[in-house]
Amino acid sequence: MEGDDGTVALRSDLHQESLAVPPEPGALAGGPEPDGVRQPARRSRPPRFYLLAAAALAALGCLDTLAQFPLWRQAPALATANLVMSLAFILTGLLLRQERGQRGVAWALILAGVFRSLDFIDAWNTGPWPVYAVVFGGIDRVFGAYAVLRYPRPALGRLERIFVLTLTGWMVLSRSLVVVTTTATSAGYPASSWWPTITANERLSGVLAVIQDAGDGVVVVVLVVLLVRRLVETRGLDRIVIAPVIAAGLAAAAATVVSAVAQAFSTISVGPTGAYVAESVVDVLLPVAFLVAVIQRGLLARNLTGLSAQVAAGADLGQIRHALRETLHDPTLEVLPPTALPPTARPGPRADSRLVEVIRTDAGAPIAVVIADAALARYRGLFDAAVRTSGLALRNAQLQAEAARAELDSVRASRARIVAAALAERRRLERDLHDGAQQRLLGLAARLTVAMSRTSDPEATAAFAGARTELGQVLAELRDLAHGIHPATLVQGGLAAALEEVAERLPLAIDLDVAPGRGPAEVEAAAYFAACEALTNTVKHARASQASVVVRMTASHLEMEVTDDGAGGADPAGNGLANLMDRVGAVDGEAIIDSPPARGTRLWVRIPCG
Amino acid sequence: MRIAIADDSTLFRSGLVLLLEASGAQVAVQASSGAELIARLFRSGPRPDAVILDLRMPPTFTGEGIAVATEIRARDPGIGILVLSTFAEASYASQLMDALGYGVGYLLKDTVTDAGHLVSQLERIVAGETILDPTIVRRLLQRKRSASTIESLNPREREVLARMAEGRSNVGIAQDLHLSPRTVEAHVTSVFGKLGLEQTDTDNNRIRAVLAFLRSAGDRR
Repeated sequence: MEGDDGTVALRSDLHQESLAVPPEPGALAGGPEPDGVRQPARRSRPPRFYLLAAAALAALGCLDTLAQFPLWRQAPALATANLVMSLAFILTGLLLRQERGQRGVAWALILAGVFRSLDFIDAWNTGPWPVYAVVFGGIDRVFGAYAVLRYPRPALGRLERIFVLTLTGWMVLSRSLVVVTTTATSAGYPASSWWPTITANERLSGVLAVIQDAGDGVVVVVLVVLLVRRLVETRGLDRIVIAPVIAAGLAAAAATVVSAVAQAFSTISVGPTGAYVAESVVDVLLPVAFLVAVIQRGLLARNLTGLSAQVAAGADLGQIRHALRETLHDPTLEVLPPTALPPTARPGPRADSRLVEVIRTDAGAPIAVVIADAALARYRGLFDAAVRTSGLALRNAQLQAEAARAELDSVRASRARIVAAALAERRRLERDLHDGAQQRLLGLAARLTVAMSRTSDPEATAAFAGARTELGQVLAELRDLAHGIHPATLVQGGLAAALEEVAERLPLAIDLDVAPGRGPAEVEAAAYFAACEALTNTVKHARASQASVVVRMTASHLEMEVTDDGAGGADPAGNGLANLMDRVGAVDGEAIIDSPPARGTRLWVRIPCG
Repeated sequence: MRIAIADDSTLFRSGLVLLLEASGAQVAVQASSGAELIARLFRSGPRPDAVILDLRMPPTFTGEGIAVATEIRARDPGIGILVLSTFAEASYASQLMDALGYGVGYLLKDTVTDAGHLVSQLERIVAGETILDPTIVRRLLQRKRSASTIESLNPREREVLARMAEGRSNVGIAQDLHLSPRTVEAHVTSVFGKLGLEQTDTDNNRIRAVLAFLRSAGDRR
């Protein structure tokens, strides 16, 4: 049963290369079936399923009724309990057939139900039925144990497989041995029953019965150990799902022990029939537990509310990982950027295969890789839905980021345009003053000189001289004004010439080491005004004995350093320096002012060119 | 003296023409751009003794004057060249002097209000001398320097240095300062020694050396 189609389907899931293929709707419920009957989803189960189920249940009800027919009169309670339990097993098995990879378990439950209904066929007290009941009466338990141990995995573990095989052999062999060493009458059946006695030896059969009981005890203990081990070793969603099944399995094991003890000491008040009824009632827990597990799997598969809430407001990879770990109950789950996909996570035929899913943009570019416990392949529907939800959140976040970036780009561009426009305006103003007003006034001064040279009247000469002096002052003021608006030297000679001019005017020793190359006008202007601001500060506040300006130019950046040996302690938030920062920032540059008290001031500026 | 003028400001140009003609010079060519001046200058007829160029002219309004000066010098090395500017910048002056070497001057437009002075400066340029506006020299000398060797000069030597930077010859300096040429020569030798400059053979080379020293002195330690 281990190699059924469920197992194969699961393995192909694990190694699926086209990992981003959207999961088929209802992938949890509907696996392809060998007979071509496809059950796409629980919700839309076709009427054919119900017909089939009803037919199977009816057939089994008939079989059960027929098999234990005499029991209905002798012990109606036991007969009823048996019927209910058989039907419960069959029903659960039929339901479980709908779960991907669980067809083996489903068949085990169905067979457990079928064999269960035959357990009391010895009530007929005739023909081969008593022998059958003695030898194969416990075979339903083998199927039950198989189902409990396996669910919801694709196959049994190695130890568990050995256990189930051993159990089967033991049940048949130990009971057969008892049968061949007894007669029908010594076993409590009418002599008319068919009984394959080889040697009727009461002492031997007594010993064999003790051995059988001891062996049964060992079997139950091993089963309990295996069940507990299974519960302990299982993690995540599987654990939540199997917990009721394991509990029911343990209860059934306990009931078996009680029933066996009751059989051995049938003097106790309950009596064997009562014990059988009790055992049946407890055993009903098993299919009920499977039903609970199936329902729980269904509920878990739809429980994305927590995930949706957590990632609703956009999310980064870390938040997605946290939410997915919680939703999928897999603390080993990882969400990695697509570049970080470790080679071990690539799909391939390996025992430690992990479930890998790539989240992509609508255009197909990978955004993230989800790597999870392979066991989650059993919850493919939930896993896919969770990954899909995460993908939506990530794509949303990415879109938001893109929108923000686009907005930032447009703000940058408009700031650059404003800076360029302001610069052009300043240059135009400066040129108008210089080439317009200033030249006219200079022409006027020349004419005044000529006029002055043509008169000999001392009063007129004095008046002309006064006018010329006045004109000279106007010219000086105009020149300073134009220079303040935008130094022509910067336009014509670049930073080196302009800073040299600044150094000539300031009452401070300034070492200049300025790269002679030219940069974009906006960059030169920003660096020039930053240097002027820093040097003005130095002259005004720093009480420095000297300052230096170093400018380096590369193809991509202008880097400037203005230092002085003054008092330090300049306040970067102060008007002048804040203005400086703004000017540099306006051309996407960075400026750092380092001004520890008594240790001089250092301004570092870096502006991208282009 | 025949003079050609290129300046894009009509008002300034006409004032300058009036001034020059009042001082006895003859303005042969007037142009509003460097290109126009060159076109008319080398067309035909007698060449002028000197040209006066605006530093900033169309079409670029950047250091046009220096480029035009360089071209004129290349085509006729005999024409003296005076560049007028409203910018008192040593870097332009250096550029100009490095490009032309002799018979060149860089003056501020403000100084042209003194007619006699302007003509005498032009005469010196035509004679092959090199002239630098005293405002620029004064500013260079005033410039604060860290541990400057200029500090080691006495006041008389500084006066001599300033005049060397303006382009005055030893004889001129002697006249200006009412000293004997021998005394001036001694001062010049002393200044060159203290500044660590090599004695140069001509006054033109001397002004360039002094200018270069003054512009870079602040950077030396």
